[in-house]
Amino acid sequence: MLCMLALGLMVMDRRDDGLGWLRESLSFTLRPLFWVTALPSRTAQAVTRLQTRESLLQENAALKQKHLLLESLLRKFDALQAENLRIRELLSSSTKLEERVLIAEVLSAAQDPYRHQILLDKGARDGVYRGQALVDAHGVLGQVIEVHAGSSRALLITDPNHGIPVEINRTGLQTIALGRGDGQRLSLPYLPSNADVKAGDLLVSSPLGGRFPAGYPVGEIVETRPSHGDNFMEAIAAPAAHINQGRQALLVWSESYPVPEPPSAPPATTPLPQPEPPE
Amino acid sequence: MNARAWRLPWILLAAFFLQFLPLADWLAIARPLWVPLALVGWALTSREPRGLFPAWISGLFLDAAYGSVLGQHALALTLLVFLAIQMRGMLSVLAGWQAALSLLPAWLAYTFVLFWVDGSIQHQADPWQRWMPAYLTSLIWPLLWPLLRGLMRRDFQE
Repeated sequence: MLCMLALGLMVMDRRDDGLGWLRESLSFTLRPLFWVTALPSRTAQAVTRLQTRESLLQENAALKQKHLLLESLLRKFDALQAENLRIRELLSSSTKLEERVLIAEVLSAAQDPYRHQILLDKGARDGVYRGQALVDAHGVLGQVIEVHAGSSRALLITDPNHGIPVEINRTGLQTIALGRGDGQRLSLPYLPSNADVKAGDLLVSSPLGGRFPAGYPVGEIVETRPSHGDNFMEAIAAPAAHINQGRQALLVWSESYPVPEPPSAPPATTPLPQPEPPE
Repeated sequence: MNARAWRLPWILLAAFFLQFLPLADWLAIARPLWVPLALVGWALTSREPRGLFPAWISGLFLDAAYGSVLGQHALALTLLVFLAIQMRGMLSVLAGWQAALSLLPAWLAYTFVLFWVDGSIQHQADPWQRWMPAYLTSLIWPLLWPLLRGLMRRDFQE
């Protein structure tokens, strides 16, 4: 009878027959356990962060220098951005330059090497939606696949079930990067054998499909090889994002998705005033 | 509830803790199936034919934690514990490594159910990562079994 019940649950869950409440309450019950299991690694991290006054002073000086450097670069970037916006206005383009983002804490990383997923502490209450893109400081991490009230689950780009539209930065070639399931590499299987792709090429996210914001780094090609005879080529890429290493991730609102009610925490950036698209 | 009735929840909690403990990817492949281990241990030492319902509930929790389709682990764990209950008589007369060998088909059956459900919902992944833990669980059984039996039998003597 229990087996029948389990089979029934599976069928209902596949059909999306309102089992969200059950999944959500089970996940909610498990949250303290996830918190406890994360303790050993957090403690280890905290211990490695314990530093002497000397090293902190050194680090502070180095950071100040870096800050100054970045600040000057940022000024230049501001000017470029304003110029870009003016030119876009002239071209009547409606492409957004800055997306709205929200910082989310990673509650637990993949406990199962078989599935590349992470649990985040932001949910429907903060306006998170299914399919929302997730990035870190280095590149695209993945997308939200399950939203609860106060938490959400994201699928990482390295999961074999994940595909992301990408653009090869050097040539503008559009293709799809799939996860390989080993947590290390992405695969670009649908390339014609004469495609101009070589090791070292940067992959950036493509806005095709309207799910991912354009222009975030996704990875770097490390290898190309022929596949399915001579007509196709497969490229292997290393993800740019630091998969399973950070404790924070950024949720990005896509252009095609209407920005929801303001979240409880103020967003890190606000969208720029948009030039009206032509009638 | 008396102390005996609380024994299983505590052991399961420890098993869930070990199951969810974050590990590096290369090490996580070598993680034994802790929750199934605890449930089989319980099924083999308990004198009543129970353990099926806790297995089913634990399976639902695993499904929620792994984001797999609800019922997948519940089905696999229920079948595993059912198998363990059927093998109880035979296992009680076997030495540690013989019992480990006899239980290998049970772990493989558990893994096969997960594999089969994954296949039927088109979740693809490296088969190596799926089957590896089943063999390691079998390897670790002779070491764990005396501990599990000690933890559970103590109650029956009280």
